[in-house]
Amino acid sequence: MIPTGLIQNILLWFGMYLIVSLSLNMEYGYGGIPNFGKAISVIVGAVVAGGIMTRILMAIYGVKGGIGGFSTATSVVSDKVTAIVQHNPLFGLLLFLATIALAIVLGCIVGALFILPSARLREDYLAITLLAISETFTMICYYDQPIIGGYYGVSVPDILGFLQGSNRFLFFTAIILVIAFITYVFFERLLNTPYGRLLKAMRENEDVIRVYGRDIMKVRMMTMAVGSGVAAIVGVLLSYFTLSVQANSFMITGRTLWTFYPFLIILLGGAGNNRGVVAGTFIFVTVMEVIDFYKSSIVATLNLPVEAVWLEYILFGVMMLLILYYKPEGLIPEKPIITAPIKKAYETRKVVLRGLRKEE
Amino acid sequence: MPGMEVLTGAIIYSNLLVLLAVGLTLAYITTAVPNFAQGSFAVVGSYTALTIYRLFNLHPYVSLPLAFLAGGAVGLASYVFVLRPLIRRGATVVTLMIATLALDLILLGLRGIYAGYLGKMTGSTCDMFMFAYLNYNIFGLPSILVVSSLVIVLTFGVLFTLLYKTKFGIALRASMENPALAEIMGVNVEYTRMFAWFLSGALAAMAGCLLPFKQEIVPATAEIIIVSIFAASIVGGLNNIYGALIGGYIVGMSESLVTYWLSTIFGTGMLVYSKVVALTIIIVTLLIAPQGIAGIDWRVVRKKLRGEVKA
Repeated sequence: MIPTGLIQNILLWFGMYLIVSLSLNMEYGYGGIPNFGKAISVIVGAVVAGGIMTRILMAIYGVKGGIGGFSTATSVVSDKVTAIVQHNPLFGLLLFLATIALAIVLGCIVGALFILPSARLREDYLAITLLAISETFTMICYYDQPIIGGYYGVSVPDILGFLQGSNRFLFFTAIILVIAFITYVFFERLLNTPYGRLLKAMRENEDVIRVYGRDIMKVRMMTMAVGSGVAAIVGVLLSYFTLSVQANSFMITGRTLWTFYPFLIILLGGAGNNRGVVAGTFIFVTVMEVIDFYKSSIVATLNLPVEAVWLEYILFGVMMLLILYYKPEGLIPEKPIITAPIKKAYETRKVVLRGLRKEE
Repeated sequence: MPGMEVLTGAIIYSNLLVLLAVGLTLAYITTAVPNFAQGSFAVVGSYTALTIYRLFNLHPYVSLPLAFLAGGAVGLASYVFVLRPLIRRGATVVTLMIATLALDLILLGLRGIYAGYLGKMTGSTCDMFMFAYLNYNIFGLPSILVVSSLVIVLTFGVLFTLLYKTKFGIALRASMENPALAEIMGVNVEYTRMFAWFLSGALAAMAGCLLPFKQEIVPATAEIIIVSIFAASIVGGLNNIYGALIGGYIVGMSESLVTYWLSTIFGTGMLVYSKVVALTIIIVTLLIAPQGIAGIDWRVVRKKLRGEVKA
């Protein structure tokens, strides 16, 4: 018998990780851009929810910073807004949608700017620069308290203030899964176009793309803009789900949770292939949540004086190395693209071959 | 004018960055992998020193040779067990970079477990620590300044002798310049790579052994320092060992002094932006001279300045 708490957690995090991984899959799996700074887009989403939306609400409701500073002020305004949402669920929905819209816009801008200094670079320099920008941004968010409260964090309103306990959890999970589904359909449609094939061609050989008159820099910028905009949604979801934004948690785990794990997911499932990403996300999240659910008993059984999270890091690190070594193409390998003209060409060839055989 | 303390602090930090960047560059020259686990190699040294200090009450300076060996072992193991198998399978550079990210995560996990055990053994937390209180003065100078500078002089002295005065060094340089040709001449490139990774880990761990004198070691230390290490290697030129020497001082000094200077104008709030200086250095270098300072062809630059060659 599987505990329902575990199933709920798996579904919730499946949705969150699917959104980020699908966007990374477009950047890395399709476009070949080694975005080692994926975490920045999730953090941008969190900054929108915790640093920008809260300030807008504070201005609307006239809440001042005061003695406790920004962190305290956000908890005052969050309580106020949550109280309004309790009577008026529609307000919560509007606030949620407005935050997501803002996060997408800012995510797109940050994504495009983020790759700007490095769009012409070779892949190793590109990866280093993207990682460095993302790490620096995380550190600033942590050390510069006014942004999102630094070490103390900030509170955000409960957009589902009218629901309690397990109902809230279920409803939130449903919202996340719906958004994840929309994201899946979005990327499937976006990447099954000449643009998707252009990305794959860029991954295979940049010179060919240049020969055909495409500007690599523009393609990379656009791809990163879309990918970051989508991943920023997860930052918002994360904040509204936990009712807070903790720069503290991004400091140590930001890169692990939102750069490394999405890479692990797409390499596990199969890069350049959205169905593989779904499978990878499901397997990864299940393993992670099972560990999380039983961590106290794991630690007790092994008699460790430490937290299970360190074991989790080692496990996922080793898992990544094993995948890279034994199955770099992933569980569901990428299939060749068959567009209508190619299909037609195949069929014509078949007919011709059949005709030839008859003649013999 | 920055005070004496700011200046010595900047020099100490630069010395440590040089050690870290040299290791990164060495590994890059021989295996063409930017090693994202370099910061974790440093942490190995920090914990070696902490263990010796807590268990035997020996000063961290005494642990330097041991940190050298421990870090070297970790560096060598990383190459032999993680990177070499992948390279033999013909892995791309991105795959290898992802592997070093995985390695970094594994080392982060091991650090957590080790710190937990050490904390239990010694009865006090080992997740965060500093050695600043163990510093003393030699002839009016902070001992950490003297020791870290000595380590640099010694390292580069030995490295120079090794590379230019011994047969092994010649083979080493040959296989860095042109691995295929060196192999034809009978040089075992494999040894070069193993040696480079050993040294990379060892130098990083020595830096890590001294780092707690300068800043607190926290679980995120490896992540905090990696940006500066890459900045130092890139500005100097990822393809040149001496580039790391120049780059380490440029990045270390500017991180400390530029933020200090900004803080005197805009207030102490600017001090948290020290990594932005390192990041800016990376970006500016990559835009202007992607080969780094050591890779600049000064003749071309002079010609350009005189207007003989059009940019």
